Amino acid sequence: MSDVIISGAARTRFGRSDVTGRDHAVRAVRAALADAGTTWERVGAAFGGSDAAGNADTLVADLGMTGLPFVNVKNGCATGGTALVSAVNAIESGMADVVVVVGFDKHPPGAFDPRPQDWGLDDAYGRDGLMVTTQFFGMKIQRYMHDHGITDRTLALVAEKAYRNGALTPDAWRRKALSAKEILDSGMVSDPLTRFMFCSPGEGAAALVLSAPGALPPGDARQVRLSSVAVRSRRFGSFEVFSPWIPGGDLTSVSRDASQAAFEAAGLGPADVDIAQLQDTESGAEVMHLAECGFCEDGEQEKLIATGATEIGGTLPVNTDGGCIANGEPIGASGLRQVVEVVTQLKGRAGDRQVPGTPTIGFTHVYGAPGVSACAVLSC
Amino acid sequence: VQRYPPKSPPYHQPAEGFSPFAVGYVELPEGIRVSAVIDADVDHLEIGMGMRLFAGSGVPHAEVAR
Repeated sequence: MSDVIISGAARTRFGRSDVTGRDHAVRAVRAALADAGTTWERVGAAFGGSDAAGNADTLVADLGMTGLPFVNVKNGCATGGTALVSAVNAIESGMADVVVVVGFDKHPPGAFDPRPQDWGLDDAYGRDGLMVTTQFFGMKIQRYMHDHGITDRTLALVAEKAYRNGALTPDAWRRKALSAKEILDSGMVSDPLTRFMFCSPGEGAAALVLSAPGALPPGDARQVRLSSVAVRSRRFGSFEVFSPWIPGGDLTSVSRDASQAAFEAAGLGPADVDIAQLQDTESGAEVMHLAECGFCEDGEQEKLIATGATEIGGTLPVNTDGGCIANGEPIGASGLRQVVEVVTQLKGRAGDRQVPGTPTIGFTHVYGAPGVSACAVLSC
Repeated sequence: VQRYPPKSPPYHQPAEGFSPFAVGYVELPEGIRVSAVIDADVDHLEIGMGMRLFAGSGVPHAEVAR
């Protein structure tokens, strides 16, 4: 278990605008420093990155050339989680007692555009129309629905909740509530997933100021501790995007591995969690990740979601800021956005979307290609 | 089912124009699942159907076994 304190947390408005990815990052870092009541000059190390918007260490031109060690992180969807692990290690090893973590991105409109050769695949996979990420998401949830009795309506309810929560989140991209019917009727992309069940590549940044206990004055009565963070890559037998083949039999899950590692390190379990942010690249992902992260058995989601368990007022509120579906997916920023949301909720500052009662344990989970997951447990 | 034309390039649209096609994993008796384009009526496919898998000039293709 780590004693690292999250002293400051901030994000920018996600979506599409004229703001560059770097400018998003600078704004997020400055806001996180202000939230922590400290300055860039006090920061002893920084870790961060983007997938497609440049190197984080160039930010010193705007933040200040203090000479601090600034490590660029580029680890796909786990960029934020990997930066977090590095920051915790830096604090626990004594390298620095105040550390900034930043994730940012800006992607062009439309689906991501992967090249077969970058994935070790024959050009035929591109030529014949198989280099399309939405096919993977469609196939994985299609099989899951077949095996575990999940319905199209449940997929629609997940997206409906995302847009409803996005409407309550000032910095979200999609802020208009949509009905389950509108979502089901929005046009099939890759069966059974429709257009409004998917997130879109977008832009935005999120940043944290982490500190050793006592390093910064406690600005807030409710201090949030980063109890654990874990990053894992896939083991043999996992089903991932752009796999020409997979072995038969039961599949492994990198999300299961990373979540178990995070819970074990924190000395806590899924039943202890009051609020969770789970990777929702599309509706089906949120459904499956509920089980992969240990919050329910396979198939229980059908009833849990229908009865409102994952709503803001439910027994396990999930993606209270609208998740990737309402915020879009700036790859480098998504993982830290989740952490910012959990910090905001644990501190009771979430306004119209505040989870009732006093949440004290939060969980975050990202998953991405080619089989990487990062999970964190936060406590207050 | 791939409902819309993938980005070109890299996708080569057929001369007769795009129409939705199915993709899936075909499990062989040896216990390996192979990614394939499934040449069949996209609205009448079910998980568990018997398939024939064959190699050609591009990615593997499969069709419903008779």
